[in-house]
Amino acid sequence: MALGYIAYRIIFGMGYHWQWHVIPQYIVRYDAERRQWIPNLLLEGLIATFRLSIWATLMAIGIGTVMGLFRVTRRPFLRMVSRGYVELVRNLPPLVLIFISYYFISSQIMSHFDINAWAKSRPDGWQEVMAFFLASPKHLSAFLSAVATLAVLEGAYITEIVRAGIESVHWGQREAAYAQGFTRGQTMRHIIFPQALPQILPPLSGQLISTIKDSAIVSVISIQELTFQGMELMSATYLTFEIWITITVMYLLLTFSCSLAVQYIEAAVKRRHGN
Amino acid sequence: MDCRKLWALVVTFFVMGMMASADSTAQSVSQSITKESTLEQVLKRKVLRVGMSTFVPWAMKDKTGKLIGFEIDVARRLAADMGVDVEFVPTNWSGIIPALLVGKFDVIIGGMGITPSRNLKVNFTIPYDYTGMSMVAHKKMADGFDSLDDFNKPSVVIAARMGSTPVDAAKKYMPKATLRLFNDESQVFQELINGRVHAVVSSAPTPAFQALKYPDRLFLPLDETFTKEPIGFAVRKGDPDTLNYFNNWIRVVTAEGWLSERKQYWFEGNDWKDKVQ
Repeated sequence: MALGYIAYRIIFGMGYHWQWHVIPQYIVRYDAERRQWIPNLLLEGLIATFRLSIWATLMAIGIGTVMGLFRVTRRPFLRMVSRGYVELVRNLPPLVLIFISYYFISSQIMSHFDINAWAKSRPDGWQEVMAFFLASPKHLSAFLSAVATLAVLEGAYITEIVRAGIESVHWGQREAAYAQGFTRGQTMRHIIFPQALPQILPPLSGQLISTIKDSAIVSVISIQELTFQGMELMSATYLTFEIWITITVMYLLLTFSCSLAVQYIEAAVKRRHGN
Repeated sequence: MDCRKLWALVVTFFVMGMMASADSTAQSVSQSITKESTLEQVLKRKVLRVGMSTFVPWAMKDKTGKLIGFEIDVARRLAADMGVDVEFVPTNWSGIIPALLVGKFDVIIGGMGITPSRNLKVNFTIPYDYTGMSMVAHKKMADGFDSLDDFNKPSVVIAARMGSTPVDAAKKYMPKATLRLFNDESQVFQELINGRVHAVVSSAPTPAFQALKYPDRLFLPLDETFTKEPIGFAVRKGDPDTLNYFNNWIRVVTAEGWLSERKQYWFEGNDWKDKVQ
């Protein structure tokens, strides 16, 4: 009902000039020179969003695993470090974190290694591989700093997922391992972690979806992902509604298919572990 | 040789030594300024990185995703004349000056109005273009308004893009009106088309384009622009070489008549419209 009313207001009440017919060309376009269909602004943006999220999640898993193990270690210093990291990141607005990293950290660190120039000096084949998996050479430095920032952001949540997974293993398991003469490292590697993994995996894949959604905020530091491309396009064409709706659908398609994949993974994990 | 002569000799040598060292310091300072200038780095890198933001018809993406517009033509010609490639860095307007300062790009060529407060943070070239503020209003909301005084009331709401010179102009000419700020131009005009604000202040000719696009809702309350603003390239401070190069480049292309020809193409004609939609 409410949705219907809103739709009615938008369509009839505002006298908005709908121009849906111009939208498809911003998703894919026919390149007359190469005689093939190629992704245009919006689809490129979606692909960039996906690349950004995948790399950020992978890096965040690395950070989260290390920090998660620190979280449950006996050493107070390491515990303090990871606790400090988690609390700092979780209690700051992501937007603030992203600005800090963009203006202070990444511009200070990245300017020391001229990554873009390095990438440009690689042979063409390499550049294409990089453009496919990461970003084109001229956007590489910005892309990497966005990946790093998102990874630090998501890593804090993954830390907690890993900690919860480890703590969910019954304490008796640990004692039994010690009784068998396992060292601390061996206990973690052979006893605790394999049992924690089924608990960790499902929320971890859910975190990927979360990352896709969070990646929209890096549009504020001019990373050319879906939201940024959409906003640029709106500035150029003033087709506010058509473009926002298209972007919404594109995000939904991406996250929904990811969430189906996550459900499949969860079912598979459950089948394998018998409960 | 008596004691006094020897003393004079020592002093002379000392003074000469001082002068020589001062001279070489001055030389090395000027050398390092030259070496570290953005100009030298651009030539070394063979790429001119230009900060810009989408703003019709200054800079926008066409149907194929290629950047086009007045500023884009200017930047491409500038890079071509320097013998380097051009790389555009689309940036949010509100953060474009900080991004220049931390070195995300070499120069802002984005229709940036020269204002004293901006000039405290960055250096501007001589103007290569002039623009003015113009206003477009909603037919129902601002019925019968035809002067700045009509809009200068507390009950009037005016929208503009955050961090842009229209904000300053609105504050100066309509201090009593309420301002509502948005991050980009499309949101500003959407607010007006939806009839939630009385008027939008923006650089000419965008308001006129919008009034043409929505003739049943929008109108131009003022016949002319109400300010005149110089537009320049912005570069980082402390870099005389780059500034000198850009200034003289502007003088050259102005004298050629190239700038006014480009300006006419983008601002007075409609030939480019079907490239965008």
